[in-house]
Amino acid sequence: MNLGWLDAFLVSGLFFVVMVIGLALLLHLQLGLARIANFGVVGFWGIGMYTFGVLFVQVDWPFGEIWAFLLSVLGGVVMAGLSGLLIGWVIADLDIDGMLVGTLGFATVVLILATTQQNLTGGARGLGGLRFPYDVGAVKANESLWLLILTVVVALILYYVHRVHRVPYGRLLTALGDNEPLARSLGKATFRTKLWLFTLSSAGMGLLGAMFGVMERFLAVGNIGIEITLAAIVGLVLGGTARVWGGVVGVVLAVGFFDIVVQSYLPLPQEWYTQAIPVFREMLFGVVLIVVLMFRPFGVLGDMRRDKIMRRAHGS
Amino acid sequence: MQFVADAIVIGLTEHAPLVLAAMGFFLLYRLTGLINVAYSETITLGAYFGMWLNTTFGLGFYTILLPAAVISGLISVATYFAVFKPAKTRNVGALEMIIISLGLSVFLRHALQFVFGYPVRFFDVPLAGTINVLGVGVGSFSLLALGLVLALSFGLYWFIQKTNLGLQIRALASDDELAGASGIRPLLVTVLIWFTAGVAGGLAGAFYGVGSSVAPLLGWRQFLLILLVVLVGGARHIRGIIFTGIATGIVLAAVSLQLGQILYAQLILIVAFIVVLKVRGNPSADTAKV
Repeated sequence: MNLGWLDAFLVSGLFFVVMVIGLALLLHLQLGLARIANFGVVGFWGIGMYTFGVLFVQVDWPFGEIWAFLLSVLGGVVMAGLSGLLIGWVIADLDIDGMLVGTLGFATVVLILATTQQNLTGGARGLGGLRFPYDVGAVKANESLWLLILTVVVALILYYVHRVHRVPYGRLLTALGDNEPLARSLGKATFRTKLWLFTLSSAGMGLLGAMFGVMERFLAVGNIGIEITLAAIVGLVLGGTARVWGGVVGVVLAVGFFDIVVQSYLPLPQEWYTQAIPVFREMLFGVVLIVVLMFRPFGVLGDMRRDKIMRRAHGS
Repeated sequence: MQFVADAIVIGLTEHAPLVLAAMGFFLLYRLTGLINVAYSETITLGAYFGMWLNTTFGLGFYTILLPAAVISGLISVATYFAVFKPAKTRNVGALEMIIISLGLSVFLRHALQFVFGYPVRFFDVPLAGTINVLGVGVGSFSLLALGLVLALSFGLYWFIQKTNLGLQIRALASDDELAGASGIRPLLVTVLIWFTAGVAGGLAGAFYGVGSSVAPLLGWRQFLLILLVVLVGGARHIRGIIFTGIATGIVLAAVSLQLGQILYAQLILIVAFIVVLKVRGNPSADTAKV
């Protein structure tokens, strides 16, 4: 297939945008519905990426490459899920401050381990050798196919989140976020519900991390900084934390604008792309968080749909 | 025995600014009940302003401390009026307040790169001779800095615990309505708290910066430890912050000496502090929300 018309920056930019949409959707379940403040998204994402990379590159698998690849991805997902189970257990009955410390602390622990365990992760030098589980020709073709696979994964996450909003489980999550003691007094297993939600959504973040590692073909500690968490939070807040499509719209508007429009289409001086634009991007993300939460707390999409759901849920 | 002496001396000289930064953070936390993530940028700005005054005007390190502290304090007050006061007026929730402070932190961290440039910067201070303390060679400069940090920390403690203004601060943090009814002017005292916290953070930043380098992530890298010291050590009393801060510095030095990596020390401390929070809970959750 001739992909000459396709810009390489566009493929990587689209990949990043779709991946952050996936993270924002999972964060929507945690923060938007159950009000679990996860400030360590990058920790779960990063542990998925690093576990996959280390298993795939460092382990001498006795099977063919495709099985080694799939088992490594599974390892990344399981490790992220187990981390979610552990951290979820730690923070589930703490207040917001405790959640902040627990999740931020976990992200820092992952960064420290990735930096210090040089024999496994390559430390600050990084680790190469990650590759696609197929070869359909040129690099651009392989990357485009991987983007397509990621899009399918994120579409499935979107479908799941959409379904959650329309089943009793979703209303339980909303009740948890609104008034947990009341939900508990009505006999709901609030602790267990939060724990499983956090475990599954963290596993999903780990899967997205593993997929990002494949796209980059390299593990670098520079990738597991606060920027990933920030991008997911900004997208979700901008679109609307309470809405299914909030993360999608917000990430497209915020991350899509910078990583696709500015990166590929605006005729800006080349030297701006190395430092000025990334720095300006983060500055603007900070301003977006402040302005949206102060002046439009339900985001661009507002709270209309949520009210409809709540009215329907309560039979009026 | 020498290992213990090494840990104590290195822990105190290298990590003393942690105590000062944690006390400033504690003030804001007690008053507002808010985890102000942007406090990390107060620390960073203190380092940048100090370095700028030092390298641009050729002022000595001890001369720049006062103006750097005052500028940091004023910026802290400005963030209160520009962001946190309007947010409070709009009844923004506790979780959203933390996200707003994260946004402010990210904005300030990157904005200062446009002002001061992208490369890592350094203070221009003369190399000092070393003095033998308990068998450990310590720079005379580090010892002076340690003395100053400890004096400032205990001065802050005295100000909060023993002065009339400190009493007003504590009264406002405990019950703002009762404090208002008692003749305390909430806005004035609130501004004083934000200024004092900014001064403490800015000074800590200047000490951090002169000890290593001045970079945009300087404050953010210390933030988690500061937060943990405050939540674990200062939930009940400001004395706890001094003890926990000093103990944290010594443990950081001891584990670094033993394992050869400060990152391992941070890892162990983060896990230990989180375990304490899990076992004990966070008793300061019901602090006054101002």
